[in-house]
Amino acid sequence: MANDESWFGKFVNELHEKPWFKCAGAWTLVPIWARLTPVKPLPGGVRPSIQPGDNLQSMMNLIMPLKTENRSPIGRAAAALAIAKNRDQIFAGLDNVGTVHFARFVIVNDNICMFSVYDGDFTNYIRDFIATIGSAFNDVVKLVEGGDAVTPCEENVEAFIQWIHEHDLYQVPDTPTDFLRDQEYLEGDKAVSPVNDDLTLLPRKLVLQLRANKNVSLGSGYRAYPGYSVAQVRKQLQLGW
Amino acid sequence: MVDKSTAKRLVDEMISNLPKHNRQQRPVHTIGVGVDAYFTASDVARKFCIAEHFSGERICAKVRFSNASGGPEQHDGWNDVRGMATRFLLPSGAATDLIATTLREFFARNVEDFFEFTKLDKHKPYRRESPWRKILDMLQLKIPRRDPYPGEETNASAGILNYANRHRFAQLGVAEFKKIGAPVSYARAAYHAIHTFIVEGENEVRRPVRFSWQPVAGVGNTNPDAPPVDDYLRQELEGRLQRWPARFVLMMTIGEAGDAIDDPTRPWPARRVRIVMGTLTLTGVPEDQATAGEQISFNPLRLVRGIEPSADPILHARRDAYEVSREMRGGTACPFSHRSCADGE
Amino acid sequence: MFDLADVQGNILRGYTGKPHVRYLILEVADAMAARRWLAASISGRYHGVPQITTGDWGTAKPETCFNIGLTYEGLRALGTPSSSLAMLPNEFIAGMTASAAKLGDVGHSAPEKWPAPFNEPKRIHLIATIYADKVEQLEQIQQRALDRNALTLLGTREGCTFPGEKERDFVHFGYRDNISQPRFEGVPDSQRHPDRQPKAPLGTVLLGHPTNLEGLTWRVPQPAELGHNGTFNAFRVLKQDVAGFEKYLDQAASFLLQHPRVEELLPPGNEEKIGKGLSRCEALREIVAANLCGRWRDGTPLALSAEIPDPKMDLTDFDYVGVGDSRCPHGAHIRRCNPRGGQIVQRIANNSRRLVRRGVPYGPPYDPAKPFERDEPERGLLGNFIGASLGAQFEAMSCDWLNLGLQDPRITGSNDPISGANDPRTSWFDLPLTSGDPIRLHGLPEFVSTRGGAYTFLPSISAIRYLGSLTT
Repeated sequence: MANDESWFGKFVNELHEKPWFKCAGAWTLVPIWARLTPVKPLPGGVRPSIQPGDNLQSMMNLIMPLKTENRSPIGRAAAALAIAKNRDQIFAGLDNVGTVHFARFVIVNDNICMFSVYDGDFTNYIRDFIATIGSAFNDVVKLVEGGDAVTPCEENVEAFIQWIHEHDLYQVPDTPTDFLRDQEYLEGDKAVSPVNDDLTLLPRKLVLQLRANKNVSLGSGYRAYPGYSVAQVRKQLQLGW
Repeated sequence: MVDKSTAKRLVDEMISNLPKHNRQQRPVHTIGVGVDAYFTASDVARKFCIAEHFSGERICAKVRFSNASGGPEQHDGWNDVRGMATRFLLPSGAATDLIATTLREFFARNVEDFFEFTKLDKHKPYRRESPWRKILDMLQLKIPRRDPYPGEETNASAGILNYANRHRFAQLGVAEFKKIGAPVSYARAAYHAIHTFIVEGENEVRRPVRFSWQPVAGVGNTNPDAPPVDDYLRQELEGRLQRWPARFVLMMTIGEAGDAIDDPTRPWPARRVRIVMGTLTLTGVPEDQATAGEQISFNPLRLVRGIEPSADPILHARRDAYEVSREMRGGTACPFSHRSCADGE
Repeated sequence: MFDLADVQGNILRGYTGKPHVRYLILEVADAMAARRWLAASISGRYHGVPQITTGDWGTAKPETCFNIGLTYEGLRALGTPSSSLAMLPNEFIAGMTASAAKLGDVGHSAPEKWPAPFNEPKRIHLIATIYADKVEQLEQIQQRALDRNALTLLGTREGCTFPGEKERDFVHFGYRDNISQPRFEGVPDSQRHPDRQPKAPLGTVLLGHPTNLEGLTWRVPQPAELGHNGTFNAFRVLKQDVAGFEKYLDQAASFLLQHPRVEELLPPGNEEKIGKGLSRCEALREIVAANLCGRWRDGTPLALSAEIPDPKMDLTDFDYVGVGDSRCPHGAHIRRCNPRGGQIVQRIANNSRRLVRRGVPYGPPYDPAKPFERDEPERGLLGNFIGASLGAQFEAMSCDWLNLGLQDPRITGSNDPISGANDPRTSWFDLPLTSGDPIRLHGLPEFVSTRGGAYTFLPSISAIRYLGSLTT
């Protein structure tokens, strides 16, 4: 920034942008620190909360890796067909679950993903979902790694809900401190102050968490009209609910 | 409520932490620019707040933008909090202020925290880290300390970090301050009123709320890796307003049971209902800066019927600290000295 | 037809004739001795251990009743095989304190604030319940139940129905209670008030039977004798602020007296119909109380009679459709707990979250004429909320319906007016008016707070025999 730097100072200041340096860091430093200061993967989904706003328009980000034998255009086509042939089930089911704002299926790199925005408690949402569209779920999940153990979902309700929860992405909080608090909570640390933290370790903690949790959702997400349920929106727009 | 001696001590502590101070000027938010503006409430604002400026009429306003750091030296391009103080001049002849900054959360919960903070928040010599030290940081997956700006010989970052390491409530404010940067324009930053207020809407319904100004032009910061420019914000604003008015939308977030009402260090989740309360249009930078901003004594507790303060101790401390600071520099008297205001009625 | 004698008696029967109830909160001291104790409790013929009351009383009505529930920690302490433990549902394994946010156990109700023995939830292994006519019998049974080698007594909780032939049906807050319970397919109906709601499938209340959600079955922990015919219970110690409740009724009544549309709520001259000799203000208090609950204090459902309490009305034969929909507030307590056949957002959930409720008041009845000099003594309800799935029934009802109000867009964002985790700064409740927009009440404080509780498994008689015979 200042122009009185030595060539070495300038070189070091620009290091973090050099591809070779990034690769070296990723291949050597990250595993070393992961070993020295291990972190547990933070759990997926939204945090439990009593507040109404925190229980409306929650986001679910399911990433389900296809079984090895399905990681091909044929397997992906099977996934696409499973969704297509269950269109009636999905629409009728979601209309009757009544708490889903948006839901869509996406294939990304041999993962079948389901992203949805729902109101209320996660387990109630999935349970109602199983009751209404269990058959569609079964068709999709049986293509996925680990899916055989939890299908048919109607007969494995508890295990299926747990399985879905485990595939729901960790939602990195909106503030860096909430991210630190998430990690502390997982370690059972509820201290308030005075404490002896080291804020300069935040970047490393983030790196190591993203090593443990390869796919995450960034932030709680933007909502144009937060705090309103599906039925409130439909009622206000006079669409019936 | 904070007594006068505490308020005086607050101001003295802040002044004593400054490398330089001119007694005729504000101790902090010293460098700023006054702007003429008007505010128009949205069609739903009155439903949520019966205060006069939300009636829908066009309300004249005076706005003062500022750099938060104290002292007479101007460094527009440095990493710093920016202030946006707005005075609404109401048709009834009364006035009300809304004071906001680019920092979303404060770093102290109360006056005691603040005194402890000011003890640590001392300017210390600040030098460039050696390249070897930076390499060591990078080996630990830390981000090396930023190099000093040209002319920056001291700062308080070590004390601030030390304080935050000891107090979790301060960590968010400090972490956000560290990467807050410099806006490309005063009209391209979002400003937050930090504290919770209780507004009264239709049918006497009272709600806890927090206010934010969102720039219609969007938030834009300068490149933190480029050499900083010391003096550009005022000229930029003058030029911008000569071409076209700049606008801010006033957003009001409604708190829920369990949200931090009296604690300005704790943010509210992004999942709260937010109401568009109105639009502020900046029209021009007047020649006479003394009356446009420098002599106005803003106060976060200059409120009108329909808006009340929460019990936030920092908010109440600011009322008297602003008043002491005004007396010290000889600013225009605040109505608190001779007239009751919303929280005293 | 399944065997009633295999099911613990308190699941399908209310023991309404037994006014005294005592809960013994116990820790397993020695697994072997505790298993012997369990084995002995089946017949009640050995070592003096009281006999477990089953659902089949035969011809002789027992003098006292005795039932048990086991927590996850308790099942573990008894040596239940880990393969069986792993089949238990997550919410049961984690325990009631882990679901605090879902149950509204925050603030004053937070588990960290629960008094002993609930401040050490992991130590609570077994909750035994004694039901008797007289306190002396409670003492006797407690003496027999306490085998020091097997079990350590961590604490007790005791409740008693209000004394008096008429009062016995009432609970704190002054409402008539214990009016309707689900009836089950294949179970003889012993209800005092025949309930006209559709019969619930047996799987609503017992593991191993069809549930209300078509095609869905809950996992039955194996071996079958352990899980089959068992069920889960949410035991709750719920403190009720009766003085605060009455004070709020005063506050709401004086607000309504000033309200321009109060005559729609209470036409002048109707006061006497609400209650004998009531002033206008007192009548409005009763109207508010009725709306908050969904029943007048005498039990009359608002869905049948919204203007005045009417003893001629059936207490259970109503639904929230047609006139019943508009007469009862959408946010009323009984409607939130059980929306019956009324329109709800989660259409699939109609009738699927029903619970068997067994409760008894504790603490002295509140008497406004004789307020206590200092603080009122603690009083409330010792409640049991029984269902085959804690997650699909008790928790689902608590988190989406009691609090949040997701089932109806007109109440979403508000909590249950009586038992919700309310904060007077944000709480609200709508009183319906026939002419259109409701009158909104604000400032409801928290009337009910949680002072303890545990999730327990109510094992079948076969399961108790199985647990008693474990050898590891």
